[in-house]
Amino acid sequence: MRTVYIIVLVLGLTAIVTQHLISPSTGRAVSPEDFGGACAPCGAPCPSKR
Amino acid sequence: MSTTTLAAPAAGASASIDRLFLSLALAASAILIALVLLDGHAASAALILGGFGLGVAFLKAEFSYTASWRRFLTRGEAGGMLGGLIVIAVAAFVIVPVAALSPEFGGAIAPLGPSLIVGAFTFGIGMQLANGCGSGTLYTAGGGSGRMLIALLFFIIGCVFGSLSLPSFLALGGIDPVLASDYFGRWGGLAATLLSLAIAAAIIIAIARKRGANFVPSRSYVVGGIVIGLLSIAVFVAGGHPWSVTFGFTVWGTKAASALGYDFSQSPFWQWAGPKHALQGSVLSDTSSLTDFGMLFGAMAAAAASKPFARGAWPPAKSLLAAAIGGLLMGWGARLGFGCNIGAFVGGVASGSLHGWVWFVAALPGCLIGIRLRPLFGLSKD
Repeated sequence: MRTVYIIVLVLGLTAIVTQHLISPSTGRAVSPEDFGGACAPCGAPCPSKR
Repeated sequence: MSTTTLAAPAAGASASIDRLFLSLALAASAILIALVLLDGHAASAALILGGFGLGVAFLKAEFSYTASWRRFLTRGEAGGMLGGLIVIAVAAFVIVPVAALSPEFGGAIAPLGPSLIVGAFTFGIGMQLANGCGSGTLYTAGGGSGRMLIALLFFIIGCVFGSLSLPSFLALGGIDPVLASDYFGRWGGLAATLLSLAIAAAIIIAIARKRGANFVPSRSYVVGGIVIGLLSIAVFVAGGHPWSVTFGFTVWGTKAASALGYDFSQSPFWQWAGPKHALQGSVLSDTSSLTDFGMLFGAMAAAAASKPFARGAWPPAKSLLAAAIGGLLMGWGARLGFGCNIGAFVGGVASGSLHGWVWFVAALPGCLIGIRLRPLFGLSKD
């Protein structure tokens, strides 16, 4: 199980770092709720707006 | 999450620091913090540290929503349930008034409708099969449970499927969020939120008394509840919104699927502004992901600091199957239900949003079904 954890940790961290470095800079960290029209933590619109 | 699913030290192993995994957890956290600080985002570093603290707190307190709810439903024991309400009460003291007062902050709100009810109910089934909820899966997977690593993988997959299903369920209808502060003002909203918690606690205690069960929270649940509540406030202050868990899973899974060639450009969910932005940007620019990473590494550090890490044997295949099915159900349910026990229930109620209580009431029957299904996978009903 320890080997699995080491593999997952190394692969996961590599993926995070690589993905971060190749992604366009998007400024500060945000939540979908920060965007206009969001009505839920995932950014779903309000029923009255659909 | 019960302690039995955490990796137990191998027979004869003395309690000691696992320097390898402690170093790995600290190094991984330091790398992520350095990356966000290099971009000048101190708040992102604070979110990672907040998540780290939550991972430590959950693991050290063995704070479990899943086991608490199961003990309440099967035996009437209410201590754990009340510990969970302590978290919400502490967080509400800051979240309700600040979210109402400052445009820089917002509460966890969500519409009321079939999607919320179906999602929470499904999540309830899944959390009992997986033996961990949103927070529980994170801290036990981080803490060395290989079984919960499986649950986490399928949780992520379920979230991706849920993101594809959510727009169809939203089309079934619903009403806009109902927020206490909109009706009673910021302080009246806080009073209404605390009153709703007091009523829930009274009902829970009454049921426990009627069943002759204990309703006094253990010391670890009281202290853990207060500490987790305070850390939830820290995450709220750093991120501008209440602590949430599962949107990060959805982003991770969808990014991975996109890298494998799947196209989400036609999915309505991923055309909404927030999800679209998250899918295009760095995973370290999503608040939910930042706290999730911190929590995983915090739990890993705490576990490795107290005993040899992940020395336990893999559980039977049936138990792993339950973890996988439970993870899938939780992921799908979390997207339809606007979050898990943290994002929807804790965050929702602590924001004074009615959807938090609706989520809770819908999830409990799901838990009952999940508890009845547990023996099929060799898991106890207790």
